[in-house]
Amino acid sequence: MKDKILIVDDSEMNRSILDDMLKDNYEIIEAEDGIAAVKRLKEHVSELALVLLDIVMPEMDGFGVLEAMNQNGWINEVPVIIISAESSSTHIERAYELGATDFIARPFDTLIVRRRVVNTILLYAKQKRLINLVEDQVYEKERQSDLMIDILSHIMEFRNGESGLHILHVRIITDLLLSCLTKKTDRYNLTMADISLISTASALHDIGKIGIDEKILNKPGKLTAEEFAIMKTHSEIGANMISDLPVHRQEQLVKTAYEICRWHHERYDGRGYPDGLKGDEIPISAQVVSLADVYDALTSERVYKPPYSHEAAVKMICGGECGTFNPLLLECLEENAEKFRTSLEKASHEDIKHRKLRSISEETLRDEGGGVSKRTLRLLDRERVRNTFYASMAEAIQFEYSVAPPMLSLSVWGAKKLGLDEIITNPAADKRLDALLGEGSWNKISAAARATTPEKPETKLELLLRIEGSVRWYRIITRSLWSDDAEPEFEGVIGTAMDINDSLLKMQELETKAARDPLTGLLNRASAREQIEMKMLSHPESNFALAIFDIDDFKKANDVYGHMFGDEVIKFISKNLRESIRGSDVSGRFGGEEFLAFLEYKTDIERTFERIHKSICGVYENYDVSVTMGVALSSDMGNDYEKLLHAADSALYFGKRNGKNQVCFYDESMKSLLETDTADN
Amino acid sequence: MTLEACYAAMGADYSDVLSRLRSERLIQKFVLKFLDDKSFELLSSSLESGSYEEAFRASHTIKGMCQNLSFTTLMHSSSELTEALRNGPTPEVPSLFEKVSADYEMTVSAIRAYQSELGA
Repeated sequence: MKDKILIVDDSEMNRSILDDMLKDNYEIIEAEDGIAAVKRLKEHVSELALVLLDIVMPEMDGFGVLEAMNQNGWINEVPVIIISAESSSTHIERAYELGATDFIARPFDTLIVRRRVVNTILLYAKQKRLINLVEDQVYEKERQSDLMIDILSHIMEFRNGESGLHILHVRIITDLLLSCLTKKTDRYNLTMADISLISTASALHDIGKIGIDEKILNKPGKLTAEEFAIMKTHSEIGANMISDLPVHRQEQLVKTAYEICRWHHERYDGRGYPDGLKGDEIPISAQVVSLADVYDALTSERVYKPPYSHEAAVKMICGGECGTFNPLLLECLEENAEKFRTSLEKASHEDIKHRKLRSISEETLRDEGGGVSKRTLRLLDRERVRNTFYASMAEAIQFEYSVAPPMLSLSVWGAKKLGLDEIITNPAADKRLDALLGEGSWNKISAAARATTPEKPETKLELLLRIEGSVRWYRIITRSLWSDDAEPEFEGVIGTAMDINDSLLKMQELETKAARDPLTGLLNRASAREQIEMKMLSHPESNFALAIFDIDDFKKANDVYGHMFGDEVIKFISKNLRESIRGSDVSGRFGGEEFLAFLEYKTDIERTFERIHKSICGVYENYDVSVTMGVALSSDMGNDYEKLLHAADSALYFGKRNGKNQVCFYDESMKSLLETDTADN
Repeated sequence: MTLEACYAAMGADYSDVLSRLRSERLIQKFVLKFLDDKSFELLSSSLESGSYEEAFRASHTIKGMCQNLSFTTLMHSSSELTEALRNGPTPEVPSLFEKVSADYEMTVSAIRAYQSELGA
């Protein structure tokens, strides 16, 4: 395969000349200005062998491209040769400072251009190969051991009947304790890679339990002395299993796992088992894991005990209730209460692995003094291909924003969907973006992203987008990208926008359903009240009437014909009610055989209710159905739901006593009558 | 008319370009391409509208192409104009532009003459 070269020059002729000089031996990609160059770099950086870069260009000049290459770390990956007609020494100086490798002056000479290109590419290729070699080893080793250990520990937890979190927790605590320990002392000479190795191997600490009888292992009560003696053999069993491995015995991971398995029940004062080692005779790996094991056992819930708080657990451990530990480790434990709590709450398997892998490769690269290796970039590139594929399948709108240069790039599908360009420079001032999001919304999104922290970089907000003439709800989720510096800097955002319009409508539909009585489809008590109060609030000057009614002798119908029939009668009444009032009126079922109607009226409300009463009553399956109605008017009671309801209820009561099957309007005289009645009861 | 005669007619250095690009075919290709380049129009229009940054870039592009093609005469005049525009326009810009226009005209008509004979 030919190496790829990116030629960046705004003059088509200059690109063409270089293209002719180089095309026999290289594959050429061209870019006509700085913005296009950054875009090509983004797409092809892992494949590029060289960039030939002009300085004076429209949109973004060559210095801008170099700055972007620095920001993204590409400058360590791809060599850059400047090809500008600019030959002033300040320009050249600045280009070199920004990481350019070489400078070819104009006019171009075929032989010189070819020779320089070959030299530069060869030099870089060699350096890259060296870096790859180291990185590949680290990566492969990590990946494989992580995978195997995940499987193994899962099996272990399954058999031990543990919560499934113990091994994960021990691993996290081990990691935290070790990180803290390295800050306190150089005594153990631990590198990042060692810490990762020990944390990984910690997952195997109880592997010997596989050799313990399940009856003892999962016994709910206290173990007898004899059973406990058997239980204690698990550390030796585990260690033997590992030392008996037919292969890999020289692997550091295997050696560490052996230490941890055998000695994670040793104690600093020599009172542990199986070998009674003392102090730093116990390898630091086993010391840390034993403390982590005890700590997690205390702070987790078990069948026989509640979880202790961090403080209580530390107090018990420091008080010697679980044996003696390395005092330095106890300090680490005491000083990091908050960290322990949050890490254990938040942690998941994935988090840890990502964090670890990143810092290990960083360490490797620091040692090598180079940039990110081609291998990593190839992996990242594959990741990108995968993401693009999934995004296109999911028809998601994905975007990426970088602060310097201020540039928003959209996934191909997303750009098409939104009718925007794939690359938008300076989105804060982009008119089309404003038209889509609403003015100032981009600033709102970026401000929210800036307000996050490296620990919690996600934001979520919902926005109305104007797409192709229609307005739809979108949910926008972003993850801010922070630099790894001690004072993290905001570098940009990745994010996705999802159309949630349909699911939002669905939610509203569900809400409506919840507001209705399932048998009759009428409003239930709470939502009827809500609508009534809304109507009175929005039309305070109107006249309203509230009617409560129930079916006369409904109990009899139920008793004689059964509940099924009762339900049918209720449906019959509901249907009549709905048909006899206007759509803007409110009708509801209060439960049982009790109903409600709420009307706005201008004149002659008595006639209206006579008509309604008549159309509600009728004959259902040879059974005469009648209702009694109590009505209260807002002109008497005011726009007060409680008062109206109470009055209508009183009128209904009055009507029942007065012979049923009628409409009864509330008046003051009922008040005294009701009071006497209440007194009688 | 040979390519060499065309170079002579526009005050350009044929032996220089041949020593660098090493192929008459290539040189011919790029010389003809020069006719399609829009930088001169961009230079005129941006000077007219007072967009001096744009004018600088256009002039710079012309200079770069001339360097590559050894169009010595136009290279000198466009190079001077480029410098006059680099840090905002100097009073010499109009007269320098006149010189560039004349040289450009000369260059382009020499190429056209060469081109028409090619077609014949």
